[in-house]
Order: sequence, then structure tokens, then C-alpha cells
Amino acid sequence: MKSLLATLALTTALTLPGLAMARPVTMTTTLNSYGGDGAYLALYVTDPSGAYVGSLWMAGGKSKYYKHLSDWYRLTGGDKAQVNGITGASVGAGRSLEITLDLSDALFDAGYTLHVDAAVEDMRESPNEIAVPLTTENAGKPVRGRRYVAGFTYDM
Amino acid sequence: MRKTLTLLVATTALTAAIGLPAWSAMHTPANTGPAPFAAVFDDAAQTLPLILASDGDDDKDRHDRNSSRRGHDDDDEEEDDDDCDAEEDDDCRSGAGNPAPAGTVAPPQNGLFGNGTPPQVKVN
Repeated sequence: MKSLLATLALTTALTLPGLAMARPVTMTTTLNSYGGDGAYLALYVTDPSGAYVGSLWMAGGKSKYYKHLSDWYRLTGGDKAQVNGITGASVGAGRSLEITLDLSDALFDAGYTLHVDAAVEDMRESPNEIAVPLTTENAGKPVRGRRYVAGFTYDM
Repeated sequence: MRKTLTLLVATTALTAAIGLPAWSAMHTPANTGPAPFAAVFDDAAQTLPLILASDGDDDKDRHDRNSSRRGHDDDDEEEDDDDCDAEEDDDCRSGAGNPAPAGTVAPPQNGLFGNGTPPQVKVN
């Protein structure tokens, strides 16, 4: 009985820090009715110096079009491994993409910026469509994009 | 005695299970192949549509060639095609393809993700 309690305490102690270091964050991107095909969107993070840290999501499954997400492509060299397991379908005009990710707490209030690049076939590319500092204060506040994104918010 | 009876029932059941379909197949028309194995060949005949599906691929190839000739003007066609329609498509030649969709592999270890819930996505 005593050893069971000890094991339980140990596993709880090991599990709790892991849970505390990350939290589910829901990012919602709503597109304008721009009247074109589905938009490719790259969501990625840069550090305080502007260096690429990593990708959070890629909306659009065909890698041959990634070069049109020009900032993301420049920063990653088009490395598909950056978006392995975090890739979904492109997003149609007027539609809303809602992604929930388990994100590290260390990303918030530490000078990191979340970027969204957008591209639509036969229409103009829109690198850095959104750039929003990842702070707890900015959570829930809608941000308007430059061309295709009507609104972007993250909630935590 | 009881054991013998059980054995007899088992062999009868087995014979009936195997023999009856074969026997019934012998009553099929003569042009369907060797009668004792008709059931087997019938099964093979049922798989023929799979061969026809392969023929469908050929149709698709023709379709893709048509798409290439037309270029990229037809957006509907473009959406339905797979990646191997572009002449300068490196992905097509190498077969390397596209990144793994969410849910098929773990997210990249880039320090951004926790170890909790996998990515969830919804398009409205």
C-alpha cells in the first residue's frame, strides 16, 4: 500500500510539470470573400531577433505551391519537414480556419511573434499577412490582415 | 462410440461445406470454365472489376495529359488532379511528395509544441 502511494506521488510529480509547461491555444483565421481559389496559409513563429523558430500550421497540402508563401519559404528554405504532421487543407474564401494546438508556455510574453503568410492561385502573394506578438494581453484580440485575412485571433 | 459419432458429424459437415458449392457449380453453363473449379473461377471473375479499375488509371493518365495540354486555365480540373500534372514538378519526379498531414505523424520537435493534445483543426 505504501509503495503504491509512493508510485502514485512520483508519477503525479513527473506529470504535472509537463502539463503546466504547455497549454491549448486556439487560433482562428477568417478569410475575406476575395473571390478566388482556396488560400494557402503558413503560420510560423519568429524570435525577438526575427529569426525563424518553427512552424505552427500549414494550410495547403501541395508543397509545390509553398514557394508562394514567400517569407516562410525564405526562412525555411521550403523545408517540408518543418510542417510534417501540422499540415491541413487550404482554406476557401470567406471561410474560417480554427486550429487548436498544445503550445509551450515559454512562447508567450517572451518577445516571440506569430506570422501568417498567405497565397492564392492566380492572385497576389501576401507574405507577412499577419504579424502579432505572442502575449497574454493580445489573446482574444482580433487582428486584421493585409489582403486575404479578415480577422485573426488566438485564445488561450 | 460417441467419439466416432462426433468425428462422423464433423467430416459430414466439412464435406457438405466444401462439396456442395463445387457440386452446384458443376450445373453452371459449360462455357464458364472447368466445372469442378467453377467456384474458384467465379471468385476470380468477381475480381475482374479490379482490373477494370486499373484501366481507369489509364483513363486518368489520358485525362492528365489533356490537362497538361490545356495548361492551368481550368481551375476545376486543377483541383481534382494530383500533383503529377505539372511539367516542372520536382515532387512528381522524385516521388518525395508532400508533407505528412496532421494526425498521421507527430508535430515537428521545434520546441513550440507541448506533449499534450495533438493538433485539432476545423474549417467553418
